[in-house]
Amino acid sequence: MSLLHATWLFPPEGSGGRLFLWADTWRVASPVVPKGEAPEHPLALNEDDLATWLDDNGLWSEALRPARATLSLPSRTQAAKGKTKSSGPWSGLPLQAGEPIPKEPQWWPWQVEGWALDPASAAEWLSGLPLAGAHPEMADELRWWTHLQRWALSLIARGRWLPQIEETRARWLPLLNREDDRRRLEELATGLPQVATCALAAGLMGDPSLACRRPGSGRLRVASLLEALLDGQLRAGFSPATEGLDPLLAAWQKALGKGDGSLHLGEEERERLTIATHHWREAVAGKVAPARTCLELFTPAEGEELWELRFGLQAEADPSLRVPAGAVWAAGDRGLQMGEVAVAQPSELLLEGMGRALTVFEPIVRGIDAATPEAMQLTPAEAFVLVRTAANQLRDVGVGVVLPPSLSGGLASRLGLAITAELPAKSRGFTLGESLDWSWEFMIGGVTLSLKDLERLSAKRSPLVQHKGAWIELRPADLKHAERFCNADPGLSLDDALRLTATDGDTLMRLPVHRFEGGPRLQAVLEQYHQQKAPDPLPAPEGFAGQLRPYQERGLGWLAFLHRFDQGACLADDMGLGKTIQLLAFLQHLKAEDELKRPVLLVAPTSVLTNWKREAAGFTPQLSVREHYGPRRPASPEALKKALKGVDLVLTSYGLLQRDSELLESVDWQGVVIDEAQAIKTPTAKQSMAARDLARPGRNSRHGRFRIALTGTPVENRVSELWALMDFLNPKVLGDEPFFRQRYRLPIERYGDMASLRDLKARVGPFILRRLKTDKSIISDLPEKVELSEWVGLSPEQKKLYNKTVEASLDAIARAPLGQKHGQVLALLTKLKQICNHPALALKEDADQAVGPTGVGAKGEASFVSRSAKVQRLEEILEEVMEAGDRALLFTQFAEWGHLLKAHLERKWRQEVPFLYGNTSKNERQAMVDRFQDDPRGPQLFLLSLKAGGVGLNLTRASHVFHIDRWWNPAVENQATDRAYRIGQQNRVMVHKFITSGSVEEKIDRMIREKSKLAADIVGSGEEWLGGLEVGQLRELVALEDD
Amino acid sequence: MTITPANAITTQLGDQGLGQQPWWVEQWMELINGYRFKKRLERAWDYARSGNVTSIRFEGRRVHARVQGTDADPYKVKLWLDVLNDEDWGYVLDALTQKARWSAQLLAGVMPQDIERAFAASGKRLFPFKLQEVRSECSCPDKANPCKHISAVYYLMGDRFSEDPFVLFQMRGRTRAQLLADLAIRRRKALAKQALAKQAKAKQAGANNGAEPDATTAPQPVHPAIKDPNRWWRYGAALDPELVVITPAMEGDTGLDAAGPLPLAEDGRFPEANHRFLDQLKAHGQLTATLAMAKAMGAANADGS
Repeated sequence: MSLLHATWLFPPEGSGGRLFLWADTWRVASPVVPKGEAPEHPLALNEDDLATWLDDNGLWSEALRPARATLSLPSRTQAAKGKTKSSGPWSGLPLQAGEPIPKEPQWWPWQVEGWALDPASAAEWLSGLPLAGAHPEMADELRWWTHLQRWALSLIARGRWLPQIEETRARWLPLLNREDDRRRLEELATGLPQVATCALAAGLMGDPSLACRRPGSGRLRVASLLEALLDGQLRAGFSPATEGLDPLLAAWQKALGKGDGSLHLGEEERERLTIATHHWREAVAGKVAPARTCLELFTPAEGEELWELRFGLQAEADPSLRVPAGAVWAAGDRGLQMGEVAVAQPSELLLEGMGRALTVFEPIVRGIDAATPEAMQLTPAEAFVLVRTAANQLRDVGVGVVLPPSLSGGLASRLGLAITAELPAKSRGFTLGESLDWSWEFMIGGVTLSLKDLERLSAKRSPLVQHKGAWIELRPADLKHAERFCNADPGLSLDDALRLTATDGDTLMRLPVHRFEGGPRLQAVLEQYHQQKAPDPLPAPEGFAGQLRPYQERGLGWLAFLHRFDQGACLADDMGLGKTIQLLAFLQHLKAEDELKRPVLLVAPTSVLTNWKREAAGFTPQLSVREHYGPRRPASPEALKKALKGVDLVLTSYGLLQRDSELLESVDWQGVVIDEAQAIKTPTAKQSMAARDLARPGRNSRHGRFRIALTGTPVENRVSELWALMDFLNPKVLGDEPFFRQRYRLPIERYGDMASLRDLKARVGPFILRRLKTDKSIISDLPEKVELSEWVGLSPEQKKLYNKTVEASLDAIARAPLGQKHGQVLALLTKLKQICNHPALALKEDADQAVGPTGVGAKGEASFVSRSAKVQRLEEILEEVMEAGDRALLFTQFAEWGHLLKAHLERKWRQEVPFLYGNTSKNERQAMVDRFQDDPRGPQLFLLSLKAGGVGLNLTRASHVFHIDRWWNPAVENQATDRAYRIGQQNRVMVHKFITSGSVEEKIDRMIREKSKLAADIVGSGEEWLGGLEVGQLRELVALEDD
Repeated sequence: MTITPANAITTQLGDQGLGQQPWWVEQWMELINGYRFKKRLERAWDYARSGNVTSIRFEGRRVHARVQGTDADPYKVKLWLDVLNDEDWGYVLDALTQKARWSAQLLAGVMPQDIERAFAASGKRLFPFKLQEVRSECSCPDKANPCKHISAVYYLMGDRFSEDPFVLFQMRGRTRAQLLADLAIRRRKALAKQALAKQAKAKQAGANNGAEPDATTAPQPVHPAIKDPNRWWRYGAALDPELVVITPAMEGDTGLDAAGPLPLAEDGRFPEANHRFLDQLKAHGQLTATLAMAKAMGAANADGS
């Protein structure tokens, strides 16, 4: 897959430049030996291909112009063909983003073809790109560019610019004096991916000389990029109107319009204008420098009246990095090192800042009369002015101000509450609404005070007062808020406690809570709730036929914990960690505790119902399980009620949940569990609404109803899908849908707003438990290779075809002469296995027929999937694999099936899925393997035929192996599995074996596992022996068992 | 009727008086207005306002101007002040380093009100005390000095001082850049000396409070991207939360508001030109701000979500 990059082309001198788009892709290339001038980037797209690519991806702009650039890129040393490593000149290849970095990378210039945009068009183009989210076709630096452009838009919206004359040209320049803008410059500079500025400054068509660009201190570089974007945008829309202007201003205005900013003025006039504009700007903004002047205020010593103000420098990159003026003066004529930040002329910087500070905060004039002043004293009135107003004004002119913590203007310096609370003696802390025993005090600037104190201090009519040793600032409204709070004398519930301890700065009746101290019992409950402590493990309950791993015991403990609170729980463990087992253990736990009084409804995709039934039968034999599925299911409430007598767990599909919703609502369920909970993600979809309706107890029920959701997808990252899930689990947590959309979904999805995301995660965090199989600190006891049996059923079409085939063939075989019998048996087995995969395979449909010709789209896909239960299940699992960014190998024994599946998967995931089988040439094989292993953006899925791909290859980049159909010989399967599970594998390998229940596949599986005599015959002898089977034996082997 | 050439220079010092002028401009105007021959001054005032001065150039330490008089060709006017020699400047610079505020203000582009005190150290002045100290020549036949052409230039120079107060330094022999550079060198020397003295003192006091580790000799750090080439490619930061919603400026809070009026002398023939220019910029600012906000919202919609 190609990856789009964007790099700034700086002009040879002066400001401005263009945004240069280029792309690289993975292809086989031989190492290059640079000679004389920079070589062509061997992995880059050429001009035409890039144009096509941009067009295909909706990124083409009419303003794009062809361009070339020489880029300095980290490169890998690689011996040229036929040369040994150490001899001769350097040879190698440029690295691509995401490729593993060799130990000693080298930097070499590479020439690249691409397309460039002038600043105004670049700004326009960047504004259209996504600000957040996963976009595998775009390199990281594109997001950096969109963030820079977003900032430029913000500066334009806030009018933070001033036109200037720079280097004889008129320019619109951003003003970066505000504190938040300076912080942004630092952030974007430290985060700058060097590739965004790795082009050599050169003429229009690039400079091919063999030289590299040094990675620079980002600050100035980023400021100049911002200038270019801002200038481009302000210039583009400006129409100069010179009427009534004197010649000087008229010329300036003309130069601010479209064009390169050239001033049509004599040298003398231009000089005059330049000086005047600089003078104009000087009063507002200083220069972009690594550090700024900083004033630090100290409270008076005990018994003193005067406040001390100390001077110093503060690093822009890290405001906590400060140097007192004394050290600045002591640096003399040398530079000053502040941590990693080097300041070249510290005393100039300090003095210039003091000069600007003086224009805003006049009292400073007294403090800087000496040659090397370090501090001064302020009267209380001056200190108050500084705290109240001047501090912000000083920050706005680029002078840092550090106030004592109790006055810093942050939340802590505001009047708030300090709370102590504990569960009432007889409470167990299980009901959210219950009231707590609690007491509170007012708190400000880190000290507590009573209402009386507050009244006394307010009476002083001094804005800065001292209380318990700390200086605090009282605001006019403070007393009013405090009195109102005292009069209301509110209660505190467990809900409040949970909310207040979840995030900082939450308020109670408009007062921020500065401190919350819970008694030991309350604290224990709160900690469990916020998962500050791992949930207490709960051992496998009595009657559970199986063992729980330690993390599964914790999962069980967590489910039980939330159940006690009557809170819905979403178990979102990674695939393969045993969500099914944990849920079954939980149900058995209820059963063992004699708490399981009424049936529990479990809704799952049809494709996994079989799996559930089998797992339940294996692990929880005491649970009475019933399927609500198929044409013979009870159709009336009475019949259903009768059928559910003594039943603990009812399994049904999402389809029936919707169709039989009224019927299902007639039952007084004890709980509702939804498996593959992403199925209800769309709030307005019928099955989502039906599931959410079922989560609430019926009107006639006197009982509560527990809610559990299971999913393997990282739900907390899929904001849009979170609302429906939480509405199912705990409807109050996220409010109604319109609120959720405004408050969380739009800010997070559109702009990647981290503050909203953090808040959202804090809210839903207590109800979601997700462990990753890669997290070895938690899942330390899981083997490196996990084998999972994926039980699937048959679609109606498959079932019909299967039965028909068995009947027809058995008759034919019985009548067949001995010589042909063998072949016919084999043909039958092959056909049945094909049917288990997909009817289209058995019916020999070609890809166009089965998957639909290219361009048919979702409809063709859907019908292809619905015809095979196995493909449905495969897709569900692959969804999680793709989502996690993992890679997978898919083995099949049928080449035709490989082709069909390739066509389908490629359409479904819009990426190439290579298929390696017997007809693949040796070169092609190597290319496929190399690409899968090495291309940073290579395919995630790799289809292989068991025979051609099962041996010899090294495919350790895959962490999932799928055996789509079964082979008689487990050694062959294991050998195939070992393509991924071998030396070099960094991750745990998940092996998924598909078994169609009741079919010949299950019999094969059973034989392999039971190591029966039959199986012993099978191993090593392939399918030969089958030919000798009696028809009776054969029927037993192939006939569909109805379960 | 007076002829006004296209590139005439006029003054903004009209009827509004001098109240709004910085102190150094005021001081300059007082100097001129102290001139005895009021009649001549009035003529000069007219000249200045009606654009008879066609050019003013600062060439090194001298001011060269052209003034259109009664003759067909403009008269050439030269103006200069006595230049301080290097020794004098040495005293001035020494004095300037004694007070941090002087350097601070000069660096921040402000003319310190008590700057003369620093010049007093050399026994010289920055501002001419009397009009006679301003040397001048005019190519007109008028014997009197200053003639009305020279006086007209006086007026306009007041305007120039409001654009750039450091022109005065230039006329005394140092441009602002030179002055600041000299000042920096001198200060650093003084500071280095001071630091050395301190160190010597500390050494004498004993090893306990020995010299602080010398941070400046630390080697220039290698750019982190060299050590970690992944920084060539990687950018994982989320959008600044404050850029999620793009908001307009608060009333009166734009850069144009903060910068205030243009420090450019206004041409008498184009009254309100400065205002007009700023109004156009402001209108453009409002328009682009609205567009930027619309674009910021649109970016999201293009995301397809």
